[in-house]
Amino acid sequence: MTAFAIQTHSLVKTYGLGSKQIRAVDGLSLNVPEGSIYGLLGRNSAGKTTTIRMAMGLARPSSGEIKVLGFNPTDDPERVIVLRQVGYVPEDKMLASLSPRKLLELNRSFYPATWSDDLARKVVKRLELPLDTPYLKLSLGNKTKSALAAAIAQHSRLLILDEPTIGLDPVALDELLRLLVEDCSADGRTILLSTHQLAEIEQIADHIGIMDHGRILIEGPLDDILSNFRRLTFTGASLPLTGPSILSVKSDARATQFILQRDPEGFAQELTRNGATLIDSSPMSLNEIFLELCRTTESKEEVSA
Amino acid sequence: MLSLRISASSGVPVYLQIEQQIKQSIASGVLCVGDSLPSTRRTAADLRINPNTVARAFQNLEREGVIRTVPGGGTYVANFAAPGAGLLKAEKIRRLRPLASQLAVEASQLRFSPEDLHKLLDAALLELEKARRANKSDSSSGTQEGDR
Repeated sequence: MTAFAIQTHSLVKTYGLGSKQIRAVDGLSLNVPEGSIYGLLGRNSAGKTTTIRMAMGLARPSSGEIKVLGFNPTDDPERVIVLRQVGYVPEDKMLASLSPRKLLELNRSFYPATWSDDLARKVVKRLELPLDTPYLKLSLGNKTKSALAAAIAQHSRLLILDEPTIGLDPVALDELLRLLVEDCSADGRTILLSTHQLAEIEQIADHIGIMDHGRILIEGPLDDILSNFRRLTFTGASLPLTGPSILSVKSDARATQFILQRDPEGFAQELTRNGATLIDSSPMSLNEIFLELCRTTESKEEVSA
Repeated sequence: MLSLRISASSGVPVYLQIEQQIKQSIASGVLCVGDSLPSTRRTAADLRINPNTVARAFQNLEREGVIRTVPGGGTYVANFAAPGAGLLKAEKIRRLRPLASQLAVEASQLRFSPEDLHKLLDAALLELEKARRANKSDSSSGTQEGDR
């Protein structure tokens, strides 16, 4: 059995009261395998940050279950056990109004068991973090780096990064990816990151989950998802317009284009058997898959509204 | 020296890109029998990709007999490495046929004559052979001068 670093079941979080209630997370089932680099993807207000805050015990679920490293982060004393083993970079990098050096010293004192001075020095050097700049004079990018250095040096079993690339220039972003692969994912340790930087995620993640409106649209090993999705173009008469594997269909006078979300080979064989001609078959990038999924959910909602 | 490059937007799975580039390096003589490959984690960090992706590529290459892994002692280009020496001809055809049909399609779309296409292929093979020879003489003169 695979162990999960984070697992949620029918997780719900509502904000507000009465008719103005907002369901930020709406029946979420998330499975982050231990030892994975997991990319949690979604548009603004998809519910990513709310989910992460519940995992860190900063928000209380309205209903449903959440387990982090096998413990419930909602209540003490289990929450303390969770927090001891998790490094966290929040979405707003306003951790504390401290210079990077002071922030590192503070975090060092909180995590005496796992903190690594070597790793702290390495991150500071690689990201070129100015240690003694007063907090108020730090740029957005340097605030992000400061938060990253403090969390990475904890050398924790689970590292949760909420939008960790905000304000980073391409060189710093590249160094961050290298640090994550080199120093944060070995020995069965897990990284969960939420971001919009799909191209970078596509490189370093092995698992992804795409969220929209508080739910998971798709989740699994990235390689499987990339090979399940395909854009196929056919010519021929009486092509099917719906089916379990079809995500969307576009037609013009000459050809019909299908976006398939599973078993594209089987689908192509069946249509070819029925006399259609396959004129193009192309793989889709994670970015294209993300856009297609979010668009399709939206158009479905417009129809039902 | 081996230099791998990954293109995320190409649509080709990253582990396949790695496999192809390592095979290419062996075919052109950049890598020779017995040369060691960097570790999975090192390769992953250098390329900024997931270590499991590199591991998958290395496992596939090992299964095909292109490289071999000594437990706890690194990864090397296998003895076999004239690539595919251990494969049946039918298997070689199965792997090459899609590439051949793609080449045929592109050429016919460009109205490129079959004779010219054959010439082009011969030239590519010749170039590969040249690169292999150049690398061979390079590495032998390199050893005479001592360490890299």
